[in-house]
Amino acid sequence: MLEVSGLTTAYGAINALRDANLTVGEGEVVGLIGPNGAGKTTLLGSIAGLLPISAGAIHFDGADITSTAPEKILRSGLALVPEHRRIFSDMTVEENLKIGGITTKASERAELLDEMVELFPVLRDKWDTPAGYMSGGEAQQLAIARALMSKPKLIMMDEPSLGLAPILVDLVFELLDTLRSQGRTILVVEQNATRMLEVADRAYVLRSGEVVADGTGRELLERSDLFDTFVGG
Amino acid sequence: MFPNARRDIAFPIVGSIVLFLVLFGGGLLYQTILGNGSAERLVTTMLIDAIIVIGIQIYIGNTGILSFGHIGFGAIAGYVFAVYAISPEEKLKRIPTAPFGLTDTQVSPTVAILIAVAVTVVFAVIVGIGLARSGAQSGSVAATVITLALLFVTHEVAKSWPELTGGNRGGISFGIGESLKGRLPILGLLFAAMLVARLYGQSRSGKLAVAAREDNLAARAMGVNPLVQQMVALLLSVVVVSGGSSLRVWQIGSILPDRFFFDYAMLTLVMLIVGGRNSVTGAVLGVAVMTAARELARRLGQDGFEVFGIGLDGAPLDWVFRENLNSVVLGLAMVAFMIWRPTGILEDWEFDQWLYKTVGRGDEVEPERLTELDSVSETAFVASGINVSFGGFKALTDAGITANGGEIVGIIGPNGAGKTTFVNVITGMVEPQSGVFSIDEENLSGKASFDLSRSGLVRTFQNLRLFGALTVRENIEVASLVASEHRAGRAVRDVDSLMLEAGLWDHRDRRARELDYGNSRRLELARAAAMAPSFMLLDEPTSGMSDSESITMIEQVRHMAATVGAGVIVIDHDLGFITGISDRIYVFDQGEVIADGTPEEVQANPYVQAAYLGSAAIT
Amino acid sequence: MAELLQNLIDGLGRGSIYALLALGVAVVFGIMHLLNFAHGELITIPGYLTYWAFNNGWSWWTVVPLIIVSAVISSLLIERVAFSRVRGAKDFTMLLTSFGVHFIVSAGFLLYIGAAVKPYPRPGWFADTISVGSLNIEVFDLVVIGVTAVVLAATTWLLQRTMFGLALRAAAADFDTARLMGVNSDSVIRGAFALSGLLAGIAGVFWIMREGQVTPTAGINPMLQGVLAALIGGLGSLRGAVLGGLVLGLAEVLLRSWLPVGIQNLTTGFVFVMIALLFIFRPGGLLSVPQVERV
Repeated sequence: MLEVSGLTTAYGAINALRDANLTVGEGEVVGLIGPNGAGKTTLLGSIAGLLPISAGAIHFDGADITSTAPEKILRSGLALVPEHRRIFSDMTVEENLKIGGITTKASERAELLDEMVELFPVLRDKWDTPAGYMSGGEAQQLAIARALMSKPKLIMMDEPSLGLAPILVDLVFELLDTLRSQGRTILVVEQNATRMLEVADRAYVLRSGEVVADGTGRELLERSDLFDTFVGG
Repeated sequence: MFPNARRDIAFPIVGSIVLFLVLFGGGLLYQTILGNGSAERLVTTMLIDAIIVIGIQIYIGNTGILSFGHIGFGAIAGYVFAVYAISPEEKLKRIPTAPFGLTDTQVSPTVAILIAVAVTVVFAVIVGIGLARSGAQSGSVAATVITLALLFVTHEVAKSWPELTGGNRGGISFGIGESLKGRLPILGLLFAAMLVARLYGQSRSGKLAVAAREDNLAARAMGVNPLVQQMVALLLSVVVVSGGSSLRVWQIGSILPDRFFFDYAMLTLVMLIVGGRNSVTGAVLGVAVMTAARELARRLGQDGFEVFGIGLDGAPLDWVFRENLNSVVLGLAMVAFMIWRPTGILEDWEFDQWLYKTVGRGDEVEPERLTELDSVSETAFVASGINVSFGGFKALTDAGITANGGEIVGIIGPNGAGKTTFVNVITGMVEPQSGVFSIDEENLSGKASFDLSRSGLVRTFQNLRLFGALTVRENIEVASLVASEHRAGRAVRDVDSLMLEAGLWDHRDRRARELDYGNSRRLELARAAAMAPSFMLLDEPTSGMSDSESITMIEQVRHMAATVGAGVIVIDHDLGFITGISDRIYVFDQGEVIADGTPEEVQANPYVQAAYLGSAAIT
Repeated sequence: MAELLQNLIDGLGRGSIYALLALGVAVVFGIMHLLNFAHGELITIPGYLTYWAFNNGWSWWTVVPLIIVSAVISSLLIERVAFSRVRGAKDFTMLLTSFGVHFIVSAGFLLYIGAAVKPYPRPGWFADTISVGSLNIEVFDLVVIGVTAVVLAATTWLLQRTMFGLALRAAAADFDTARLMGVNSDSVIRGAFALSGLLAGIAGVFWIMREGQVTPTAGINPMLQGVLAALIGGLGSLRGAVLGGLVLGLAEVLLRSWLPVGIQNLTTGFVFVMIALLFIFRPGGLLSVPQVERV
């Protein structure tokens, strides 16, 4: 469904990528792990069209989306939940969700809003509050719901558990399970490698801008040198 | 004041002489060829414009703050000059009721210029304080609007205070025959303006101002207080502009509010922008180019004319070539340059520096290598009990580290562990709810970032903040200039030798923005070392590097730190790099220090593995 | 007391026009960080069209829509020709671009129409007043205040309740993230310029009526008042822009009435000094938007 080949960002840029390859099949949950600074966020940002790339190609759903404007990529069915959530904090929860669904028809949007409330009950309680007043966990759910509002074929999440208390981290991973059971295709960047590998169908390990290992979640978990691969010790 | 006498004094003087001769000589040539009075007037006007544009360049070029207000300062100077220099008889006709008994006062034009400059400088100090308060920095919008407001205030006051200014219609004027005839004062001031502008650009203050223009945050981290340098640049530029404006009034023979308003502000700005605002040579070139372009447009706008025997008859193109075409040319030039070449023709190319590089430098010998200093082991950086929360989120809980002189201390932890917040606290960017940090028991909490670095804690930046338009050498020089003033008692190492030690000698004259990534990182390190720090704080120095590059970085950090006898606190994601370089390591997780010890101890610590891999097994 | 009330109404009338101008400046600044020194041209251009229209037998009934439509079209045209080419450039570049656009337009009129003042008739009711007790209220002020109130309400509705308004606010808050949600960058920026032009057009109707004449540099004053009001309120804040406009209008009128007779014509100068003091003590303006410094 998503195919990234030979992706390279400008040499010398911060957190650059070097010849990264990655595929995501329909219905898969794919993890992308690695220490910070490895280029995980750069990779997602490049796929989403936010960052310039210097070489390589990105194909999504049969179409070439290399160097396409982010709004066009979103419209082709590929959504990104950005790092640090980046919710619109002065806008209400409802408005945030509506923005997420800006590409859908008004009637459909109303249905999607109901669907999101069902999936994330906490949002209903905060419906008319500015999103800036939400706690980290609530804001993360809003960020994911906002991305789902565009009915993406594939949703990418950048560190959804970042800065959350352990109990909320559990919630995020349960959520991943829920979304998987709905048959959604997901690509997740996670710092919490072990938890990620337990959930993921497949995963890639990224370090210093390069993909250094990949396999199913189980395979990677059982590798004894995972820690070393991970941090280069 | 000047790091290198030959480069920073001798060549700028030579350069100014050449620049002066070229501009004046070109003007003379033009007026001789045409041989009429209007050509002569045009050249005189160009020379005066050049003084004012160079004056504006001193401010805009060195600080990066766009100012419309300099023509407002010009208006103040122009009026002060006029009311002092004009004869009482003329004043009786125009402003018989002038306040402060000014009607009867008359001084010689030279004295009047001095008074005009002095009065204008007082206004400049007030405006300068306002600009500083507004947090002016390169490109700041609020500062620009303040200067714009100044332009309008002076215009408004000039229009509506006829007792002093003669108002909007009358203005004040010299009697016939009393306006400036010779060019000597103009030529004198023009040359002085070029000299001042160039020497300032090469001086300590000028270099620090340019550093702040290139990167305000990094300049502050190198101990520069940008507001002080901006004020110096402002006052110098106002002196030149007010001198030039007085001459302009003297030469025209009268002053009206509209003479120093939008149109003139636009003209001088376009001249500066077209030539290249960051360079005095550019300012002079811009004056010449725009004077020529406007004159051409003006003549085309008349009934067409002859160039080299080819008659240009405007008639068929009458809809374009008509009067006032030169005003449109100004606007078009401005927009066209902004769209296609916002840095102007010359960008930051400076004639005398080019000359110095080509013929003046001679063969530079490689400097002597530096011996590593014995570490100053009695110094210590201590941070303790630091608590920070944003809203309800607790970013740091009781965090603290200790680093001893000459020691390399690493800080690691997963994303979101609080490392960045910790760095922000000890660099003065985030105020903690509680906690203190100090070097040698000198409390540093609450200090401004430029004070922190002057106290010995000098940082680098994760995403590289070099002074792009400055050369490698100048980047280091800026830090060295600050160090020699504020780091007394520490060994301030020679700039050239530091470049050699950092492996940058071969790149010494390249601009920082042209460097590749590895060299940029090395330059940042060398620049921090040039501050003669007690401690260097390195924020993700291997960010964006490959494994092999990270490994070579270990040796470089060690060597540079030892060269200046500094301790190192290094934050990095790369555990291999951190364990390779550090004497001791602190591990952050969830805003707390969860472990510390030697690299071996930390690596063996199960909590660390858990923090990094997020194992659910250990909690 | 009566005098104060009279001044308040005068000041609100004046301030309402400034508020509309400032709001237009703020909308564009919010979305692309461009402080538009060419905003006043959205009054100069319709001003000349007004002059032309009256010479061709139009009346205010048809001129008012002409002013508004031409302001919107001019705004979009200027964006297309100039500002779209410096999108994302440094603030310095964008400031000077807008300054250059101002100059091209005003110099263009100077070139083709000339420096002479071009007059046209004010509407018949312009000087009418209503007496309430000892107050003499200008009908013009009342109309301005009333229309502005309606326009502000409509703008609020647009921004709060429509998808376009949401997109505009989202893009102003975080342009990249808005694009990630599918907000089209071209349309949202053009929308902002259209809205800015619409607001300037409505303000322009009143400005043009009040002036009764147009010159090549007619745009300078409305531009300055709009930009200053936006700054007084706090750049980037739409509410601040409206507040800044009202404050500026009131300050002008009240100062003029309080200043001693001899120096009343220095009012504008004093207003500028007050603004300077405001910036010194509150650099971000009345409703300052916190600027986060990113490392």
